[in-house]
Amino acid sequence: MTPPPRPAPSVGLQGPLWRAIVVFRFASLAFALALIAGNVRYYARPLGAIPVVLVMIGWTVAASWLYARPRRRGWPLLIADVAVTAAVLLSAQLVIGSAALARGTPGMAVAWLAAPVLAWAVAGGRRLGVTAALLVGLADVAVRPRLNQASVTGTTLMLLAAVGVGHVTRLAAIAEARLQRAVELEAANRERERLARDIHDSVLQVLALVRRRGASLDGEAGELARLAGEQEAALRRLIATGAPPTPSGTVDLGALVTAYASDVVSVAAPATAVPLPAETSTQVAAAVGAALDNAARHAGPAARVFVLVEDEPGAVTVTVRDDGTGIPAGRLEAAEGEGRLGVAQAIRGRIADLGGTVRIHSAPGQGTEIEMTVPKVSL
Amino acid sequence: MTERIRVMVVDDHPMWRSGVARDLAEAGYDVVATTGEGRQAVRIAGATRPDVVVLDLQLPDISGVEVIRGLRAALPDVRVLMLSASGEQQSVLDAVKAGAAGYLLKSAAPDEFLAAVAGTAAGEAVFTPGLAGLVLGEYRRLAATPEPADRAAPALTDRETEVLRLVAKGLSYKQIAERLTLSHRTVQNHVQNTLGKLQLHNRVELTRYAIEQGLDQL
Repeated sequence: MTPPPRPAPSVGLQGPLWRAIVVFRFASLAFALALIAGNVRYYARPLGAIPVVLVMIGWTVAASWLYARPRRRGWPLLIADVAVTAAVLLSAQLVIGSAALARGTPGMAVAWLAAPVLAWAVAGGRRLGVTAALLVGLADVAVRPRLNQASVTGTTLMLLAAVGVGHVTRLAAIAEARLQRAVELEAANRERERLARDIHDSVLQVLALVRRRGASLDGEAGELARLAGEQEAALRRLIATGAPPTPSGTVDLGALVTAYASDVVSVAAPATAVPLPAETSTQVAAAVGAALDNAARHAGPAARVFVLVEDEPGAVTVTVRDDGTGIPAGRLEAAEGEGRLGVAQAIRGRIADLGGTVRIHSAPGQGTEIEMTVPKVSL
Repeated sequence: MTERIRVMVVDDHPMWRSGVARDLAEAGYDVVATTGEGRQAVRIAGATRPDVVVLDLQLPDISGVEVIRGLRAALPDVRVLMLSASGEQQSVLDAVKAGAAGYLLKSAAPDEFLAAVAGTAAGEAVFTPGLAGLVLGEYRRLAATPEPADRAAPALTDRETEVLRLVAKGLSYKQIAERLTLSHRTVQNHVQNTLGKLQLHNRVELTRYAIEQGLDQL
């Protein structure tokens, strides 16, 4: 036997579906009773309809009450639901009689018979819904002397309803899972902000102080101060609160470039986001990374690097400047001519692919400045 | 002997606060008050009359902007040097617009810090490259934001833009003066003007807002 239907993660979005079934049970009961009243004169045993009607009313009330509690919605209730409905359908053989049924007199559970199908579909999705539709449909068809259009139509409608409701149920479960995830993320985010505040108020202050007091010391103490400073910078980046929002499909270039900030790299950028298409942002940030690598290798150990991000009306300009030793005039061109200036090529290549331009100026003792400009393409 | 420069230190971390106060005292400043709360800073500013306030932007009670407004209301001539960590760009920009005279990263070395306090006391605008980038960005944002014709957004002159870009690229005022063949004082003035226009625009906007909301009738 298949495992009993998994309880929904929580009743949130499925609750309304179960309540809708209760409404359907009572509405369809009223319709079925009206039809019985209209057709009872054709029945073979009109008095026999009384217990059937009582069972229908009783089960409608009982099922509505039983299904109200999520933990009662297991196999016993689902099977009982189909069994009662099948019994009501099969009783038509006795109450209405095959002659009347053959003449096309409707059964006693018209429409009402769909309630367990809906219940199975909500409890277990499309597959269970279809199973219930086939079981109930079989009972409905069984009492007919010959297959007629009405019962085939009825079974088909139940199958469609089962598929439809099953699908909606699955969507509800997915939506609920996503909602749950969003709630968790929100909580995690709040926790993160709280941690960031705590870290800012405690650890960071101490690290900054160690760095500050030790900066003037020599030897190991100075080294410790420097390490504290590095950790302080790393921790600050880690707890930096989320980047400003950008339109979908774009990435804030400012945030990408700011991630390079460190003890020796200072990043200047606008306070607002610099949204560029994701690919453009990534490529420009990679070019900045290449320029920083270059500076780290060639500018000398004491050099500092300054990165400036500018968001102009038609273009975005990123400048990477170091205050290091600089490149002697002509060496850049010479190296490029020999085809071995990997850095310049990597940067120029990336920026040219984006339709942008790169300017490099450098002089001995004045550091190197690499200015990259990429046009803004309207999104 | 000239009178010593009076400094107030506002920072919520006691160890940091006393460290900074000690450095300042050793360098010959008169540390008139230290406090860890913005409200208290505003309250005692009138009585202690500091020339310079060294202010951590992240305080537990009120925002840096509120502290600066309060300080300037109590002491119109007070010069506020903000300290903050990186990654707080918007609050740094807001504080500058509210009237801070300068900005320094908290991770700056002690001698850089003392030079910044001296500069602030002397009426200079102490800029980090990061602040220059923020100010440049703010002018470009204002230029790109459509405004009614009667309220023109402040704009930088070409020279001011040039100077600010060089500051953002990490050049010292001295290096900028050499590169543009200007005097050190002229570079200073250009930098200060970029802040001044932004602060004026901010005050005008605030007043306009107050009038529109009928707050001036209270």
